[in-house]
Amino acid sequence: MSDEVFKQFKEHSVAEFFKKNRQMLGFSGKVRSLTMIVHELVTNSLDACEETGILPEVFVQVEELGTDHYQLTIKDNGPGIPKSHLGKALGQMLAGTKFHRYVQQRGQQGIGAAACTMFSYITTGQSTKAISACSGKKFTANIAIDFVKNKAVVEEIEEVPTDENGLTVISEFKDVKYERSNYGVYEYLRRTALANPNCSITLIEPNKQRVTFPRSVEQNPPRPVEIKPHPLGIGTHDLLEFAKRSKESKKISPFLTETFARMSAGKVEELKNMLPTVDFNKNPSDMSWEDAEAIVKAFGQVKWIAPATDSLVPIGKTQVEASFRNIFNPEVLVITERSPKVYRGGIPFMVEVGIAYGGGVAAAEKRGEVMRFANRVPLLFDSGGCAITETIKTIDWKRYDIKNFDEEPIAVLVNLISVHVPYTSAGKQAISNEEDVMDEIKFAIMEASRSIQKYLSGKRRANEIANKKKVVTRYIQQLSSDLSILSGEKKDDIQKRLTKIIEDKYGGEEELAQGEGKGNEEETVPTEKEEDEENGE
Amino acid sequence: MASNDAMKKLELLGKSMVSEVKKGEGPTFETTLRTKSNTIFDEAVGCLRTGDKKEVRKFLSVAQARTFMQTVAIANKTRQFLKEDLHTSIRGLFYQLKFSLGEDIDEDLFTEQSESNGLIEDLEVALKIKREDLHLTTDRKGFVAGPMTILDRFGGDETIIDLEKQGRSGWSIPSDVDNGMEITKLDADYVLVVEKDALWQRLNEDKFWKKENCILVTPKGQSTRGTRRLLRKLADRKLPVYCLMDCDAWGWYIYWTIKTGSMNLAYLGRDFAVPEAKFLGVTMSDIEEFSFLDKLTIKAKEVDVKRAEEMLGYPWINRHKDWVHELKLVLKTKKKIEQDALQGERLTFVGEYINNKIKKKEWLS
Repeated sequence: MSDEVFKQFKEHSVAEFFKKNRQMLGFSGKVRSLTMIVHELVTNSLDACEETGILPEVFVQVEELGTDHYQLTIKDNGPGIPKSHLGKALGQMLAGTKFHRYVQQRGQQGIGAAACTMFSYITTGQSTKAISACSGKKFTANIAIDFVKNKAVVEEIEEVPTDENGLTVISEFKDVKYERSNYGVYEYLRRTALANPNCSITLIEPNKQRVTFPRSVEQNPPRPVEIKPHPLGIGTHDLLEFAKRSKESKKISPFLTETFARMSAGKVEELKNMLPTVDFNKNPSDMSWEDAEAIVKAFGQVKWIAPATDSLVPIGKTQVEASFRNIFNPEVLVITERSPKVYRGGIPFMVEVGIAYGGGVAAAEKRGEVMRFANRVPLLFDSGGCAITETIKTIDWKRYDIKNFDEEPIAVLVNLISVHVPYTSAGKQAISNEEDVMDEIKFAIMEASRSIQKYLSGKRRANEIANKKKVVTRYIQQLSSDLSILSGEKKDDIQKRLTKIIEDKYGGEEELAQGEGKGNEEETVPTEKEEDEENGE
Repeated sequence: MASNDAMKKLELLGKSMVSEVKKGEGPTFETTLRTKSNTIFDEAVGCLRTGDKKEVRKFLSVAQARTFMQTVAIANKTRQFLKEDLHTSIRGLFYQLKFSLGEDIDEDLFTEQSESNGLIEDLEVALKIKREDLHLTTDRKGFVAGPMTILDRFGGDETIIDLEKQGRSGWSIPSDVDNGMEITKLDADYVLVVEKDALWQRLNEDKFWKKENCILVTPKGQSTRGTRRLLRKLADRKLPVYCLMDCDAWGWYIYWTIKTGSMNLAYLGRDFAVPEAKFLGVTMSDIEEFSFLDKLTIKAKEVDVKRAEEMLGYPWINRHKDWVHELKLVLKTKKKIEQDALQGERLTFVGEYINNKIKKKEWLS
């Protein structure tokens, strides 16, 4: 899509194109537009901080200037942007470094900060103010865009020495609206905080209310790395493409080991033995369709080590748990992290699921909340056609003691992690119905739900036992009194003994049942056996 | 049974429960199942009785905790009645035990009499005593007259009751004929039980009991516990017991209850049954023998038919050919005759009819 957009930018006036196609970039609807702007800028801040090893602290302020007219300030503690790059970063479309990299990125999601600058300029005629504190200098400038040339126009205001770092962006927007709805800035930041427990986010709403989502973990996630495709995700056509483009290898065998992840010499030998008709010494560019087809078929019969996890950065069990506790403080929390899989064309992905039940979730007004994320970025819009929503609909919640999902204090977080998230559209707010992806989401939710169910049934049992105990206990007094008269023994003694007998019987059972419930919490994450990384390497 | 024995049994029950508690166990209460499946016909004795199936109730079981506590409360309360030597009805007992379990407990010890009635029977079975032994009275219904004298120790007084001197009303059979009650003189040849009070009054007016030297009893329909106990005691004195009932399944069933006991009270066994009892009439065959009766039949009611069908299903009845014959006739003709019809020709016919039957031994077992 980006290539296409870029081409069209060249052919038409950028402003004209942008006005006509703003919804294509996510700017459709007043509430959504504001959320998208906040998303672009906050995402940039988080990425910049994490890339340089800084724990992100993001400040967002929304001020209402008039009807559908707001000023937005976003400030971070990141490295700042050097004076020479500031204009490009904030004022030139598609100038980022994020495109066409086989690596997990947040920024895949949007069209970049320059689009915000542009949107501001189109709707208000104002340029965007940027204050970048970087390498000992604080540079303040107004940034506008030359639409015809797609170039930034930087008007320097001042440059002073500083010992701080960070970027502040201040822009005005019209045709936007602040709202505390499921699609608004507040919800976006809340979910961002949930999926990014390493960051601290402060929001000042138009009514001056200050909301802080505090940091839950004191460590940035590991940086994702670029990776080679995994054999299991490869089709015949893909393999041929790779083979034709291969320049370094003169033979198929080394081509395979160099091109694919988890392809050891041993695995190639295995393939050779399986495919006596294929000449593995042939130049890869001479690979025939039949060869490719046979090799791909053989791929399916070899036992592979799962794709490298380090190319995918999940939020992490402990991190999700920390942020969930921080934001929801649920009664029970289960996190499932499935091992990586591939879908279409060897694209690795993994699914992370967190289910929180009761406690703070019950206190919140929302019921049956579904929180969708892609690479830790919240997906607020287009939930209807999203694979996550669709998959959750197929879950038979009753099996997990959740009678009515939409009315219970349950919050489900699904984070799809991939170097290439299969979005349904350019809006990048919904995941397409890839079968492999949906299966994984389903399995992850089912795994987590089983633990929730165990907890709930354990709790119910403990409740039942407590009730039983209560029932029997209420009759002790009368029984002791009658028995005392009948037997001539002391009432107090009988009562004390009866109380103890009941305590021993039901107290023990109660603890056991509660223990089962708690036990789940301990083993919150049903572990899928980690496959041996070293095997075959 | 002296009230001392009953009191001892109640106290023993309490002591055994407390000893379980002292061992660190939940107290239990063992009783015999009073279900239909645990009701058997005792061939040797000829009465219904309860089988051997036991049920152990546990205080610690949630489902049984309340009834367990209630059972012990009844045991304790009846022990108090025995101690104070006072009697009350099962309804009186219920009201004695209808109180709140405590300020902080929103629950009464008993809320309905139906709760306590069954538990009284459980106690009777478990302790092998009768409710009369627990000083619980039942309603009186039956009447008796004849050559018999009774010593009644009651309320501190001792009264001699001559059943020949009860005038037109007869002596009302008390609910308990065992405790404080003694037959001091008995000089009769047999016992005649007539179902209806109307016929009893007729025969009483004829001085039938005097002429025949018999004890004349009416249960006034289904027999009470007291009436059945009295009949048992008279049978124990080797007096033959003859019964005259309506000629319908309902009347016959009253006879069978006297003879074998009922399923409800099967646990009382032979103490409340008179297997020796004989059935004089009225039978369907009588209609053929006494032509005037044919005109006096009335249509059997639905309950009569239903009861007849049930009785045909009871093994202790359907093994008697003549009874099966009678019951089948009822089902076939859908007719019945009331015992009052025997007065249809002339008022004194009844006496002759009875005499004849006894003399000719024309009875059914």
